[in-house]
Amino acid sequence: MRFSSPVLAVLALCALPVIPCRTVRLVAQQEPEEEHTSIGGYGEVHYQNPSGPDSPGIVNVARFVMFLAHQFNAKIALRSELEVEDAKVEAGDTRAGEVSVEQVYLDYMLSPAATLRAGLLLAPIGLINETHEPTTFNGVERPALDNDVIPTTWRDIGLGVVGQIPGSSGLSYRVYLLNGLQASGFTADEGIRGGRQEGQLASFANPSFTGRLEYARPGLKVGGSFWYGGSANQDPALGTGTFDNAVALVSADARYETGPFSFRAEAVNIHVSNVEAINAAFGGQVGSRIAGGYLEGAYNVLTLVAPASHQRLDAFVRHERYNTQAGVPAGVVRDDALARRITTLGLTYKPVYNVAFKGDYQLRRNQAGVGEGELLNLGIGYQF
Amino acid sequence: MLAPAVALVLGAPSLAAQAAPPDKVSKSIDRVYGAGARADTVVVDSQTVYRVSRGGALLGFAEVRNVKGKEQPITYLVAVDSAGATRDVDILVYRESQGGEVAYDSWRKQFRGKTSGDPIEIGKDIRNISGATISSNAVTRSVRLALRQLADWRAAGKLK
Repeated sequence: MRFSSPVLAVLALCALPVIPCRTVRLVAQQEPEEEHTSIGGYGEVHYQNPSGPDSPGIVNVARFVMFLAHQFNAKIALRSELEVEDAKVEAGDTRAGEVSVEQVYLDYMLSPAATLRAGLLLAPIGLINETHEPTTFNGVERPALDNDVIPTTWRDIGLGVVGQIPGSSGLSYRVYLLNGLQASGFTADEGIRGGRQEGQLASFANPSFTGRLEYARPGLKVGGSFWYGGSANQDPALGTGTFDNAVALVSADARYETGPFSFRAEAVNIHVSNVEAINAAFGGQVGSRIAGGYLEGAYNVLTLVAPASHQRLDAFVRHERYNTQAGVPAGVVRDDALARRITTLGLTYKPVYNVAFKGDYQLRRNQAGVGEGELLNLGIGYQF
Repeated sequence: MLAPAVALVLGAPSLAAQAAPPDKVSKSIDRVYGAGARADTVVVDSQTVYRVSRGGALLGFAEVRNVKGKEQPITYLVAVDSAGATRDVDILVYRESQGGEVAYDSWRKQFRGKTSGDPIEIGKDIRNISGATISSNAVTRSVRLALRQLADWRAAGKLK
């Protein structure tokens, strides 16, 4: 900003002596520059071997992600995440890799209580969707619930407000208006996952509300999230109202750490309204209710064998139960193979907190006992 | 009446450019040591330290530091008493999109009373905040280094 007005200049000169000397002297050292660009990233490489004699292992660069952020001034910042999934994308290649912008948004920081945010945002739902770096969770793969029920990474275009609730000491919130889902993509086995538009020339027929409230204190964090919005996309067969074929999601989660122990839990319930019309229009077997949860406990083994160590070796077990047809409309025969129970046992070794070497064994079961399997996973992950 | 003009003409290019606005630093020192504390600037090994006193009696030393979080610097003040024990850690400017929980009193109060001889490490004597792992680790490590440096300076007679 430039002020050439002589009046302002005179005013400024007059004002100089009133600046208290003490204030001028109290200047921070090592000041970061006002305008500041930073890069970061995360990545994960996986080895996966299904049980059985005729099933070779698979290796894959599951994700290579770059963060690019820029601070324009003390209040305005850009943040972005660019992701390559499955190593590469090539025309005609049937192994579909993916390049995507997972987040790109501007923050306008008004105060700790309110930052305005607009752009391509992550839905603030559950434990994994917003914090999905491989060093932040146990197991090579993200929990299956955070794929099939909460469609991680769930992002779309919109705007909202985030902040800490003043005077509450520990409560923070995020509230967004985001572009909604399209019922044409809903499926029996992955619920609402295929309905995400992910900010790609997306129809803005069903703006949706989503938000999260969190309470944090050292060692403990509990959170609750919601999503409410239509999915009809003004399809005459479904409805032309903004909230027609509404998807209503509520979830709750908790993380607790004490000494060498850490625990986390997540539960989610999704109701899809007027699902008969969705199934009639698109020939699917979409459930009217999609629900599930998991519990996980871990123990840092190094506290036993090397208590002075700065490293971690967590042995963990996670049990997930979810059903993408927890409720079905009249006319849909429930597929019991969709009532899944997955137990994962494994180890996470962290020489530093931003680097993880992982190994786990998964028992994938379901109520029908059809298509069950076991899976050995190995992986590396990092973030910075 | 003249203050707005200062903010417009001087404030925009100079004061706003600073990582920790001076009024935040002085407010923080007042909050930690009580109103009316006098802060004198001392430069040690080309770093600025605030020597805090009241009526000639030494109350302690404070330092403003920046530590990189996930993407952006976190600007905080670490304040010790005259014996070198931490009085408080105060987050002055937080710029990250995630991890702002390190500003909560429930987390910061874990540092109170810590000295340069304590481990000051996440998972040992400081508890993490889930979802703020990078910020918690960064601030904890930086506080550990700050306390050790302040103690070294005092032992070497560079801070009196």
